[in-house]
Amino acid sequence: MELKKVGVSGTLESSDVMITLEPGNGGIEIELSSTVEKQFGNAIRREILATLESMGVNNARVTAVDKGALDCVIRARVKTAVCRAAEVEYNWGGDGQ
Amino acid sequence: MQLDYASPPRGQKLERIRAFLAKLSLDWDHTIEHTVCLLEDDHIVATGSLRQNVLLCIGVDPSLQGEGLTATIVTELVKLAVQSGKTHLFLFTKPENEKIFTSLGFYPVAGTSDVLLLENKKDGIRQFVQSLRQPRVDGVIASAVVNCNPFTNGHLYLLEKAASECALLHVFVLSEDRSAFPASVRLQLVKENTAHIPNIIVHPTADYLISSATFPDYFHKEKGLSSEINCKLDLTIFATHFARPMGITRRYVGTEPNCAVTAAYNRQMKSFLPTMGIEVVEIPRYELGGQPVSASKVRALLKEGRLDEIKPLVPPATFAYLERMTPID
Repeated sequence: MELKKVGVSGTLESSDVMITLEPGNGGIEIELSSTVEKQFGNAIRREILATLESMGVNNARVTAVDKGALDCVIRARVKTAVCRAAEVEYNWGGDGQ
Repeated sequence: MQLDYASPPRGQKLERIRAFLAKLSLDWDHTIEHTVCLLEDDHIVATGSLRQNVLLCIGVDPSLQGEGLTATIVTELVKLAVQSGKTHLFLFTKPENEKIFTSLGFYPVAGTSDVLLLENKKDGIRQFVQSLRQPRVDGVIASAVVNCNPFTNGHLYLLEKAASECALLHVFVLSEDRSAFPASVRLQLVKENTAHIPNIIVHPTADYLISSATFPDYFHKEKGLSSEINCKLDLTIFATHFARPMGITRRYVGTEPNCAVTAAYNRQMKSFLPTMGIEVVEIPRYELGGQPVSASKVRALLKEGRLDEIKPLVPPATFAYLERMTPID
């Protein structure tokens, strides 16, 4: 999926993550700031990467400001941001992810 | 608690926000475009505002501090900014609030004793300055910061003279898109008009010098000065983030006979930059027929369609551009 504009989702509230996605310069670039960076920084990056990959996004600049979001929250926020940035509707019909 | 938006607030609403900020010793800023408030029982408990890509006037009722209301306000402001296509964001706060905002994804750029500027890009300014072409030279490395709205023979005179007195001249062109001519055009015209000067390198400034974030008064000259201008932050950023790593020890500036804001900026520059080891050299304005040649004069003539009178004031590249952009009817 190709990103067309900037997409943002989530909030800066506790237990959430704010994801900002922009079209990249070839490849995926993640800038993460997290209250639990030391403990979970790499796990959060992996989660973001895996979600982008599952949606076929391979060119994006990601800014993630994490306030201790759970994996499922990270996935949901990334998916929403991708849909907004790619200007597509997402079918939340449930594929178990 | 409910959110309330205003773009910008006026009348009674504005008075209430002003009064709320005053209790926190924060001044309202007349350049604000959007304001978000959190209300409880119709009373303001938190607020924050947006001007271009800058978050400012953020405050929370002291009895509710530490409950995460700042996060709610900043979330809304970031979304507002992103909706209008702005992703590189700045934020003003008091130095003692640094931690609150670094936990919300902002990183310090520079500060003075009473204000701290942050941006939402880690190492943003350092990476930007590192990306600028800066060859090693023997001799004085100097700089000039210019708007060139548009580039005139006055600019040409200043830059030629400055370049003749140093080994290398870094020319920074304001990147803020709030001037009559877009940033990309101003940058291109500076490059074209100085291409014949071998020791000049022309750079953009990416909002880090004389921008909405560092020196907002510059863009509101017509409104007059309500208070003493504050350009200490802008000069601090120039001295620490640009001059120091790039080896710049001199800054050139043209004398300012007409504009009060620019004249005040020049005065502060002359008193502050030398304390940071940067010499300030003022070059008298280039004159034609006893009149200083200025970009504002060119803009005024352009408005009246008097292209013929512009011709002696600008170099060929600028004139060619003006001819192309002038609608023929």
